[in-house]
Amino acid sequence: MTVTEAPRATAEAAAAPSPSAPPTGLAAVVGSGDPRTIGKLFVGTSLLFLIAAAVAGALVGIEQYDVAGSAIFAADTAVRVFTLHTTAALFLGALPLLVGLAAAIVPLQVGARTVAFPRATAAAYWVWLVAGGLVLASYAIDGGPFGSDPDAVALYVAGLVTVLVALAVATVSVVTTVLTLRAPGMTLRRTPLFSWSMLLAGTVWLLTLPVLAAVLLIAYLDLRYGQQFLGGSSGIYDRMAWVFWQPTLYVFAVPALGIVADVVPVFAQRRHKRHGAAIGLLGLAAALGFGAWAQLGATADGSGAPAPWLFEGPWIAVGFIAIVPVLGLLGLWTATLGAGKVKLGTPLVLAQLAGLLILLGVAAGGATVIEDLDLAATTWMTAQTTLMLTGTVLAALGGVAFWAPKLYGKLLPDAVTRLGGTIVFLGALAAGVPQALAGALDQSQLVGAGSETVSAGDLDTVEMLNLVSGIGLAAVAAGLLVVGLALLARRSGDGPGDDPWAGHTLEWATSSPPPAGNFASLPEITSEAPVYDARHAAAVDETEASA
Amino acid sequence: MATTATDLEVFAAAPSPPAPRPRVLLVGTALAAGSVAMVVLALIALYARLRADVIAAGEIWLPEESNVQLTPGSMGMVTLLLSLVTAAWAVQALRDDDRGHALMAFGVTLVLGAAYINGAAYGWQQFGLGVTSSTQALLIYTITGLHVAMAAVGMLYMLVMGFRAVGGQLTGRAAEGATAAVLYWFVTVGVYAVVWYTITVVK
Repeated sequence: MTVTEAPRATAEAAAAPSPSAPPTGLAAVVGSGDPRTIGKLFVGTSLLFLIAAAVAGALVGIEQYDVAGSAIFAADTAVRVFTLHTTAALFLGALPLLVGLAAAIVPLQVGARTVAFPRATAAAYWVWLVAGGLVLASYAIDGGPFGSDPDAVALYVAGLVTVLVALAVATVSVVTTVLTLRAPGMTLRRTPLFSWSMLLAGTVWLLTLPVLAAVLLIAYLDLRYGQQFLGGSSGIYDRMAWVFWQPTLYVFAVPALGIVADVVPVFAQRRHKRHGAAIGLLGLAAALGFGAWAQLGATADGSGAPAPWLFEGPWIAVGFIAIVPVLGLLGLWTATLGAGKVKLGTPLVLAQLAGLLILLGVAAGGATVIEDLDLAATTWMTAQTTLMLTGTVLAALGGVAFWAPKLYGKLLPDAVTRLGGTIVFLGALAAGVPQALAGALDQSQLVGAGSETVSAGDLDTVEMLNLVSGIGLAAVAAGLLVVGLALLARRSGDGPGDDPWAGHTLEWATSSPPPAGNFASLPEITSEAPVYDARHAAAVDETEASA
Repeated sequence: MATTATDLEVFAAAPSPPAPRPRVLLVGTALAAGSVAMVVLALIALYARLRADVIAAGEIWLPEESNVQLTPGSMGMVTLLLSLVTAAWAVQALRDDDRGHALMAFGVTLVLGAAYINGAAYGWQQFGLGVTSSTQALLIYTITGLHVAMAAVGMLYMLVMGFRAVGGQLTGRAAEGATAAVLYWFVTVGVYAVVWYTITVVK
């Protein structure tokens, strides 16, 4: 047999249609499967949703200035605005912000050409966006938890289930990227800590979010076709409230800890102290965050039941042990900064402030499980949610500032970003601490529950604390707006260079912004900080050559 | 026909085969299957919790007019267990580059899957309660319906991979897509074992 055909490459080139011009403008965005584009879309949109969530929270705080009556809304509206605040903050804000950042950055960190399922990731974004819009729209037509229009309530539930599915699909893509597309030589032990934290947290999300989806699904069917044994419209939030409480709340903060763990050594200009310990502590934090077991009870006759897990062994254990990984990581970061030459860049400032908020949130959780303090079901738990979620968001914003050269090809304006982040931090403190103090004075977590739980002597104090809390959340919204403006006003002029921070991990080995395919070639990875090693090896070579 | 030197030169000049593709689809499928399984298992947990509460209160869980038959449910379990063998046979045949047997095994697996869905539909017909009649009925229809949907997705997945095998894309060591579809099917059967035990056996 004699081979007479033209070589395959030549034949394919001859048969291929002439290339058409790449899409531009809206078509380039809508049709894009580029994870960097999708990541930027997630970041920008979730920032808008976060501002809306913070404004809703501020309105609730101001409304609670009159605990017994109503300052702005009717009592049934106030509780709906509160659920809008929490739903939007977590499912339309913090989670997609982290997922988007991960979709853009994780492939670069692990040395992959793209995410594992780029088209699925893009589809996840658009589905999430539409479903998130439906969730918000349901509130506008008297839906959401505690809404009085059954169709609108059902729209809320269906929209939220779709949001969860979309986020799960994007998470599958990110986790699969870490598991399968790492560069040669990059063992899990050498995986950058943000990617590692996304692997851990994403896996737990994939085991947790479906549980919430199942509960919402049965609530939807119960609402539409059943006996309303889950409490109908007013019972929906009870069924999903466990997601906003410990221990589930902790798993949403794990990627935030991973971001801080990647930022700190770069600005300390030295390796992360005890990288292996950091890996283990992040693993412990993620494991403790699997909290689908800690749900409120349900009864077949719709009478409700107390949470069977409250003040039981596992809940108490998680409440206390959860402090260990956060304290351990803070200790490692302090040691890393102490041993290095610290550059006080904006990402480091935001990361440190985020670490403080998360520590406060975890400490608040530790107090919640002490039965004698009687803090469960008070606004003390709301404070924990506020501190943890704002800390998570602040860390993610620090990550956006850190990886801005890779995301946008530009650095964010330092002063504006730092100002915005600081306002978010101060706002979170101003919101969270008064919520906690009001909880200590027995204010019920249920917005619109009235003043029965608060003693008459404490009522004025609680109302003032609520007002301060509302102002704090307004400040959070303002800070997020400032960071949003910083994103819009990215530094003009020449790019920041490929590695403006002298980074340690693989994303800094490619250009800013990265080319299609991210890397032309990659050497065998032999450590958790390959770019740091290469830079230091080059410095040693130069020193020896000059000697 | 004898091989000539020209043939050898052409092959020598050809580019080296690409590195083995990482198991992206397999891992992604495992994660997705785990998530889908958690949806059904969460509902099973809710079912068990409600059932325990009702029985603890001294009442009967399933209304007297309901009829959850053991035989169709158990036949569904046996059918799905058989499908595990045929699904594993399909993957092994592809690894051996035996496309004929692989297609036959995929076909038998799909038939067994269809038989399971048929049995589930028969079970609903015999159940005797409408979906809106009671909390118990709503839960049972939701759980079994979700599992049937899960099985249908698995069958569609295997069908797609079967077509790709026909096209020659899934052979030998590159049978990852088929392995992924079969992995999803295994998870589906595992979840059914829990559904079957909870709803059909324990009731």
